[in-house]
Amino acid sequence: MIQLFHLSKTYPPNHRALINITLEIAQGEFVFVAGASGAGKSTLLKLLFREEEPSEGQILIDGRNVTRLGSRGVARLRRKIGLVFQEFKLLPGITALENVALAAEVLGRSKRESRTKAYQLLRELGLKDRYDAKPLALSAGEQQRVAIARALINDPRLILADEPTGNLDAEVADEIMRLLFKMRDRGTTILIATHDLGMIARYGTRVLSLQRGMLTDWSGRTAAEGGRR
Amino acid sequence: MKIFLVGFVLRRVRSNLRQLFWTHMLTAGTMAMTLFVFGGFMLLETNLQGLLKGWGDQIQIIGYLKNGLAAHEIQTLVKRVEAMPEVQRVRHITQEQAWRDFQSALGHQSGLLDGLPREILPASVEILLKPAQRDGPVVAQLADRLKQENGIASVEYPQEWVERLGLAVLAVEWIKWILGGVLFLATFFIVGSTVKLAVLARKDEVEIMQLVGASEALIQAPFVIEGMIQGLAAATISIGGLWLVYVLIQNELPSMGGLLGALGELQFLNLNSLALLLVIGWLLGAAGSVISLRRFVRSWNASSART
Repeated sequence: MIQLFHLSKTYPPNHRALINITLEIAQGEFVFVAGASGAGKSTLLKLLFREEEPSEGQILIDGRNVTRLGSRGVARLRRKIGLVFQEFKLLPGITALENVALAAEVLGRSKRESRTKAYQLLRELGLKDRYDAKPLALSAGEQQRVAIARALINDPRLILADEPTGNLDAEVADEIMRLLFKMRDRGTTILIATHDLGMIARYGTRVLSLQRGMLTDWSGRTAAEGGRR
Repeated sequence: MKIFLVGFVLRRVRSNLRQLFWTHMLTAGTMAMTLFVFGGFMLLETNLQGLLKGWGDQIQIIGYLKNGLAAHEIQTLVKRVEAMPEVQRVRHITQEQAWRDFQSALGHQSGLLDGLPREILPASVEILLKPAQRDGPVVAQLADRLKQENGIASVEYPQEWVERLGLAVLAVEWIKWILGGVLFLATFFIVGSTVKLAVLARKDEVEIMQLVGASEALIQAPFVIEGMIQGLAAATISIGGLWLVYVLIQNELPSMGGLLGALGELQFLNLNSLALLLVIGWLLGAAGSVISLRRFVRSWNASSART
């Protein structure tokens, strides 16, 4: 599903956010990207959904090289990816239902079809009575579930979540994680950036650990030192 | 673009126009003023051209006859001039007729002529040219030929005034494009600023649309359509304003003297000119939006990539 070859990202003047990352993630895998703040987790995700362009190396998604893309290519790539952020990124002026439906409408689905699907997803995520509430009237957990519904509405093959539980208490965070595992069970590849080692330990799936831009194992050895991950 | 996207774009346009109603109104008003000034020059040019054409229709050369010509000599002269290819009609004005015309032109001050001999005014021939021959050079050449005629003492024609008016029309046309160009450029930037405001007001929405894979065309389309609507609204307002000015001046025209009084009846802009104003408004709004959006989104992408 995802293949990275010698991927590096350097920000001017000389900040190396990611250094020589090579890895492979299979379709349907659930992977944590762990690391302290500034380790390069968000940069890795941004490179995958092409908000950033790598300085070196190659990114292949579904066998397609997405390292260098024009604006059309980036838009096409993002249609396959569901994005979830720590700060939810919901539009405050419209309802939960409209927030979710917007993502389908911009891809050319009819208003009715988009809203029907948005409602189904919100119901599935336990928000059937909150669909017409505006984001600010929702709790943080509810807002994140709306964001997850939006990420799912276009049936993505890949979900990238950047600290999706960062603003949530433990109970709600677990609920969100259960939802994401449910998506994984349906065959969606999930990649979650987090610095919450407790959560990683609880779920015990594959972990990519980043330290100062380099891929390391739990002991802090780099991929080169510890062999292929 | 899929058919459902059209509905989506139109809903965005409606919501954006509501959200920034007064900003859009202000921009449309500014554009309307620019188009009004430009349209005003078009109106002036149209009417000056009408005046020029009216004068052209009345262009005639007056040949003053030498004193003491016999009737048959005058008749021969008139026939000879009538035979010239540029000439439509020749009218012989006797000294008596000239005296009467002058008297009636003086009106109640005709008493000034008392005691003057009636032969003081020369007899003349008024030569009306064929419509196709009323160009400056043709008139001048004919006047030169007439001067060579034995019976003609001197020749007069209003060429200087026609040329001056022609120059005035040309000047108005140039001013229209130069001033219009400067105003259009200024308006172009104002439209650009409005688009920036509109994009900033919907920054979050644009960002989310980008993140879920909306095409650039879809993201930009509502802003461009808003620009077009602004331009068309501005052109319509300016045409309304011009019509109002036209009606006001038309009503006042009978009491005006000078050049305006000479116009007799004003002309409004013809359909082509009205269409031109609408097209300019539409283009100004669309181009202002497209160019500003491109620059703005480019700089925005660059700055968001840095953060």
